[in-house]
Amino acid sequence: MKKRLVAFLLLVVMMVSACAGLTACGTPDDGKLHISFYHTMGQNLRDVLDRYIAQFEALYPQYKIDHQQIGSYDDVRDQIATEITVGNQPNIAYCYPDHVALYNLAYAVKTLDEFIDSTEVIERADGTTEILGLTEEQKADFIQAYYEEGRQFGDDLMYTMPLSKSTEVLYYNKTFFDACKAIYDAEFIKDANGNNVANPNYHNEIYNLKVPTTWDEMEETCAKIIAIENAKLSDADKAAGKKANVIPLGYDSESNWFITMCEQLKSGYTTLEGDEKFIFDNETNRKFVERFREWYTKGYVTTQEIHGSYTSSLFVEQGAGKTKSYMSIGSSAGATHQRPTADANGKYPFEVGIAPIPQADATNPKVISQGPSLCIFEDSAEEMKASWLFVKFLCTNIGFQADFSIASGYVPVIKSVDTDELYAEHLESADGGDNIAALSVKVCLAQEAYYYTSPAFNGSSAARDEVGALLQKCLLIKNVADVPAEIKKAFAEAIANCKYKAD
Amino acid sequence: MFDIKKISEKISSLFGAKKEQNDTSVLKTMEEKDMSRVNRTQRVVQVLVKIALYAFLLTMAVIVLFPFYWMLISSVKSLEEYNLSVPTLFPEAFHFENYVEGFKTANLGQLFLNTVFVGVVSTILSLVITVLSAFAFARLEFVGKNALFAALLATMMIPGELFTITNYQTINDFFGLKTLGNQIGSKFLQEIGNWQNTYTVLIVPFLVSVFYIYLLKQNFMQIPNELYLAAKVDGTTDIKYLWKVMIPLAFPTIISITILKMMGAWNSYIWPRLVANDDAHKLITNGLRGADFTVDSMVHYPRQMAAVAIVSLPLFLVFLFFRKYIMKGVSRSGIKG
Amino acid sequence: MAEVLKKIKFEKWKGWLYLSPAIILLLIFTVWPIFNTIRMAFLEDFNTLQASRGAVFEIGFKNFEKVIGYKDFLTCLGNTMILCVLTVPLSTILALVIAVCLNSIKFLSRFIQTIFFLPYVTNSIAIGMVFAAMFNIVGSFLGTDNQIVQTWGIVNEVLRAFGMEPINWINSGSDYWANIWVMVIYIVWNALPFKILILLGGLQSVNKQYYEAAKIDGTSRIRTFTRITVPLLSPMIAYVVITGFIGGFKEYSSIVGIFGDGMGPAGEKGKLNTMVGYIYDSLSLHQGRASAAALILFGIIFIVTMINLYVSKKKTHY
Repeated sequence: MKKRLVAFLLLVVMMVSACAGLTACGTPDDGKLHISFYHTMGQNLRDVLDRYIAQFEALYPQYKIDHQQIGSYDDVRDQIATEITVGNQPNIAYCYPDHVALYNLAYAVKTLDEFIDSTEVIERADGTTEILGLTEEQKADFIQAYYEEGRQFGDDLMYTMPLSKSTEVLYYNKTFFDACKAIYDAEFIKDANGNNVANPNYHNEIYNLKVPTTWDEMEETCAKIIAIENAKLSDADKAAGKKANVIPLGYDSESNWFITMCEQLKSGYTTLEGDEKFIFDNETNRKFVERFREWYTKGYVTTQEIHGSYTSSLFVEQGAGKTKSYMSIGSSAGATHQRPTADANGKYPFEVGIAPIPQADATNPKVISQGPSLCIFEDSAEEMKASWLFVKFLCTNIGFQADFSIASGYVPVIKSVDTDELYAEHLESADGGDNIAALSVKVCLAQEAYYYTSPAFNGSSAARDEVGALLQKCLLIKNVADVPAEIKKAFAEAIANCKYKAD
Repeated sequence: MFDIKKISEKISSLFGAKKEQNDTSVLKTMEEKDMSRVNRTQRVVQVLVKIALYAFLLTMAVIVLFPFYWMLISSVKSLEEYNLSVPTLFPEAFHFENYVEGFKTANLGQLFLNTVFVGVVSTILSLVITVLSAFAFARLEFVGKNALFAALLATMMIPGELFTITNYQTINDFFGLKTLGNQIGSKFLQEIGNWQNTYTVLIVPFLVSVFYIYLLKQNFMQIPNELYLAAKVDGTTDIKYLWKVMIPLAFPTIISITILKMMGAWNSYIWPRLVANDDAHKLITNGLRGADFTVDSMVHYPRQMAAVAIVSLPLFLVFLFFRKYIMKGVSRSGIKG
Repeated sequence: MAEVLKKIKFEKWKGWLYLSPAIILLLIFTVWPIFNTIRMAFLEDFNTLQASRGAVFEIGFKNFEKVIGYKDFLTCLGNTMILCVLTVPLSTILALVIAVCLNSIKFLSRFIQTIFFLPYVTNSIAIGMVFAAMFNIVGSFLGTDNQIVQTWGIVNEVLRAFGMEPINWINSGSDYWANIWVMVIYIVWNALPFKILILLGGLQSVNKQYYEAAKIDGTSRIRTFTRITVPLLSPMIAYVVITGFIGGFKEYSSIVGIFGDGMGPAGEKGKLNTMVGYIYDSLSLHQGRASAAALILFGIIFIVTMINLYVSKKKTHY
C-alpha cells in the first residue's frame, strides 16, 4: 500500500515537473554559438534582417543569430530589465538612451570602446579577414551626430551603436493646400453654365495657405483651415450653429512635442549639470503649454493620446461626414501610415506633402533625433565578441543600411549609402504617393544638422513620460478662471513625479 | 446559528404584540369577523404589490441583461451602422462576418487552445492535490494536524497581490536554478529555472487553493468514519477507499470545484499578463484586451463585440448546464474565479 | 514486531505525505512571498536591478515614506476608497431589495433568478469593454466650444430621449465624477449576482413563522422588511459587506475593462488608478515600494475587516 501511495505521489510530482520540463526542450545543440537579439521590427523589416543575418552567418558559420520581436520599445525595456535581474538578458537589443541608463543600474551594458579600438584580425569563412575594431574610414563614414549619441552617458564611454535614425516631420495634404492656393490665385471661376465670373474668394486671405515653417504660421494656417471648412457649410447648418468637422493639425507624440519645444525655445528640459536634473518647470515652458491649450480649445490640434489613436487616422480619413485633419506631425519612419488608402486603380485620394516641423526660432532649428541604437549586454567574452561583430556588420554594411531604409523610411547612419545605386534610385523616385518613404527620408536628410538629443540618465525615461502626460493634462484644462494657475500646478506635480520615479 | 427563541421575543417586543394575540383561537375569531372586508382589500393590495414586484424585478432584469443585448446586436452591425449618430436598437442587417473577422483579429483560436489547456491541466492537478489534502485532514490522524490546518486557514486572509511581487521573481529564477545555470553554463538549468512564457507558470503557482481543501474536507467529514474503519479492516487501501467511496459521495462538491477552477482560468488576467505574453501562451482575457481591432485607422467595435461574445459564450453554456453546481459552489465560496 | 512498529510510525506521519504536494507549493508560492515582501518593504529603495549586482540596501521605513508621500499613490488610495464607499452599500441594498422581491414571488422566480446570476459568469474585462462601448462618445474636443461629435453612444441617447443633456462619461476631458459613476454602475452590476445569491439563500432559510406573525399583526411591508428581514439576514449581510469591502479594496480589472491599461480616460492616464494598479505599476522597477504598498493595502483591508466584524458583532442577531 505504501508503495502505491508513494508511486502515486511520485506521479503527481512528475506531472508538475513535466510541465516545467516542457520549457526545457527546444534548443537543439548544433555546436554553434547562439547570439540572441531583441528588437521591435515588423515583418517587412524582419525579412530584410533575415537576408543579412544569412550573409553574416555565411561569413561566420560558428555563430547563429536568434532574433525575436518583443512588442514595442517599452516592452523590450521592461522585459530586459526583468531578465537582467536573473541574468537572462539577450546578447544584443534595440535600445534608446534611457534604456541603457536603466540597464546600467545593474552595470549590465558592455562598453564598446575596447572593441572599437581593437586591431585584432579576425578570419572569416570566405577566406577574407577583417579587424575586430572599426577602421578610421568606418568611423569617419558614420554621421558624426549619430555616432556620438552612444557616448552621451556622462562618462565619455561608448555604450551604443546607431542602427538607423528618424525624426519628426510635418505631413500635409498637398492636394488640399494646392486647391486652396488655386482659389486664392484665380481671378475668375466658371459658374454652372461655364461662363467666367469673378471669383468671390479671389485674394481672400483665408485661402492663402502656405506650409507653415514656424509655430506662428502654424497658428495662422490652422485658423485659415477652419475658416475654409466653415465656409463650406450650408446656410442651414451655419444658422444652426454647426461647425466644420475638421481638426487642422494632429500631433502624434505629446512627449516629443514638449521636449522639442524646450529645445527650440532653449528653455530647458533636463540636464546633467547642476543638482537639479528636471528643469522644465519654467515660465517659457508654461507659456507655450498655455498657448497650445488655447489651440486645443479653439479646435486647432489634437494629439494621439487625447484622440485615442494615431492622429494619422484623422489625416488619411476620407469618409463623408468623418472628422478630417489636413496636417499631421509624426515620425518620419511612419510615412506609409500617413498615406491614404489607394483606390482600385492604385490612385491615392490625395497627395501627401512632407515638410520639416515648424520652428519657434527660424535661426535655431531643432528637430528630435530618434530611432533605435544597439547595445550589447555583459556576458562571456566570446559571446560579446560575436555580438560586436554582428552589431558592427549591421551598422556598417551599405546594403543593409540601404535596404533597411527603403523598407522602413528610417535614415541610414552611414554616409556611404549614397554610393548604393539602388538607394540613389529609390531616393530619386520620391513622391507623395507610392514612394512616400523615400520622400520622408529626403526631408530628414536635409535636416541632419538640426538634430538634438536629450541627456540620458536614470529617470530620463520617466521625465519623457511625465512631460507627455503633462502636456495632455494641460491641453484638457477646462475653461476655468485661472488657467495659468492650473498649468503651474500641473507642472509642479510633473516635477514631483519625475523625482519620485528617478529616485 | 439562529436563536429562534431570542429572535421571536425580540420581534414581539418590537411590535408591542401582546402574548394573547398570538393565540390562534383569538386570531381565528378576529379573522372570521372581518373576513369579507379584509379579504377583498387584502386581495387588491396583494395583486397590486405583486404587480409592483414583477415590474421592479423585470425592470432590473432588463437593466442587467441590456449589456448582453447590446453586445449581441452590436456584434452583427456594420461599422457604419454602429457609428450612426443615433444608434439603432436592432440591426438593419446581420453581419455575421464580424464573428469570423473578430475571431481572426484577436487570434481567438490559439487563445482558446491555450486557455483550455491551462484550464484542464490545472484543474486536474489541483483536484488531485485538493482531494489528497482534504482526505488527510478529514480522515487521518497525524502529528501537528490542527496547527497545520490553522496555518493554512490563516494564509487565506492575505491578499494575493502581496504574493505576486515575489512569485514574479520566483518564476523568473526558480530556486536560483537559472543563476546557477548561467554560472556553470548549463542551458538546461537556465531554461528549467526560467518559467516566463511557459504553461508551467500559468498552472503551478495556483494549484493549491486552501479554500477548496477546506470545502472538500468539510464534505468528507460528513461521510461516517465507520465506513473508513470497515474498509481498513477489509484491507482496502486508502487510495482505493478514496476513489471508490469518498469521491463518489463528495461528487457534487468536486464538480463545483472543477467548474469554479475552470472559470478561474478563463477569467484570469493579472498574473497571465505579467508572465505570459507570447502568442503561444497568452490566455484569452489578456489576448482579447490586447487585441487591436483597428481597421483603416478606426476601431471596429462590431468586431470587438463579436470577439467578446465569442469569449463569453463558453461560460454561458457551462452555466446553463451546471447552474445548480455553480450556484452552490459560489454561495459557499464567495470567490470569483 | 519491528514491522508493526514501523507501520505505526508511518501511520503517524502518513498525513504529511498526502499533504506534501500542497505544502511544498504553498511554501514556495505563498509562505516565502509573505516573508520576502516584508523583507523588500523594509530595504530602502530596493530594486532587483541593483540587487542583481550585489548592491546593499539599508533597512528602514523609507519605502513607506516615499509611497505615502507620493501624490499618485494618494490618488490611487482615494479612488479605491471612493469606489468602495459607493459600491458596497449600493450593491448590498440593491441586492437585498431584489432578493426580498425574488423571495416573495413564485411564478418565473427561477427564471429571473438565473438572469440576475448571469453577470457572474462573465469575464469582467470582456464585459467591461461592452460597458465602455455603451458609454463611449465618438468625437473630439469634447467639452470645449469647438466640440465635434460623431456618435453620442447609447447611454447618452437614452438620456437625450428623456430630454437630458448628454454627459461625457469616459472620453478625454471627462469629469472625474462621471468616470466614477460609470465605474460604480459597472462594479455594482458585476457584484449583484453573488450578493443576491447569498442573501436569497439566507432568506430561504429564514423561518416563515416570523412573517406570519408580522402579517397577522398587520405590520406594514416596509416595517416587516426593516424590523424582521434585515435583522434576520444580518449574518448574511455582514458577510456580503465584508467580502464586498475586501474585493472593493482590490478593485483593478474592472477599471482595466472600462478604461484599458491606462487606468483613465484618454489623455489622463492613471486618473482612476487603484491600490492594486499602483502595486503593479511599481512592480517592474521599484519592488521595494511595491512591497510597501502591498503591506499598506493588507493593513487597510485588515483594519476595515476588523471594524466590519466588530460592528456586525454588535448589530448582528445570531
